[in-house]
Amino acid sequence: MTTALTQGLERIPDQIGYLVISEEGVLASAGELENDEHTAGVIMQMVRTACRFKLHGTAEPPFKRMSVMFEDYVYAVTISGQKVFVVKRQNNQREPVIV
Amino acid sequence: MGCCFSAGSNQDDPKKPLIPDPNLNKIPTNGSDRNADSLPSNRTDEQALLTTILQRTALNIIDVSAVISQGLEQHEYMDRARQYSTKLEVLSRTLSQKKPVSLPSLTSQPHQVLAADLVSYADVQQVSKIAAYAYSAISQIKVDAKEELVVQFAIP
Repeated sequence: MTTALTQGLERIPDQIGYLVISEEGVLASAGELENDEHTAGVIMQMVRTACRFKLHGTAEPPFKRMSVMFEDYVYAVTISGQKVFVVKRQNNQREPVIV
Repeated sequence: MGCCFSAGSNQDDPKKPLIPDPNLNKIPTNGSDRNADSLPSNRTDEQALLTTILQRTALNIIDVSAVISQGLEQHEYMDRARQYSTKLEVLSRTLSQKKPVSLPSLTSQPHQVLAADLVSYADVQQVSKIAAYAYSAISQIKVDAKEELVVQFAIP
């Protein structure tokens, strides 16, 4: 079961770790997020809070992906089929250099 | 309860109406300082008018000092405590029956969504700037007190 979930995550460009979380707990983890239950807990809380924002009283949350951006890396988070997918990716973006 | 009294020019005409004439500031006392010139037939009318004015004042004015000095008797306190806890029990029963909110589904293609381009540097800078403006604006919210919140009724 987990290979179906994690195969797509493995192939994400410049990913350095991922988590698959359900209401009961962590279903899969790898890379820098391997066994990182603490990060999983924090991200679950953030995602539940973000889902409470509704635009103009519509039923669905107004976003597809939540990004937690740090200096050198990003946590990209989404929800599908009652599971939270988190992938840690390298953030190579810098201020554009004007030549 | 504190009250105002104004001498005005009420000595000359005992039949002068109290309420329709606001300029003379005729607000009732506790009834102890009665105008000696009032005729007996006017006393009941006057008394009724004074009572209505007194009632209206009592309704519209919050006496802060009275609130502080009020105490509850022991048995009354216990009764209220019991009342509140039974009400809470009823409410908590209905609340605990609500099921926890399930996670909404944001997408059917999680891998695609997560693999897409990251938020651009320019967008991050703009959002940071907007958040800084919002923070600055919120920190400038303050109360602008225009007048006294509590005033004393005083007999001049």
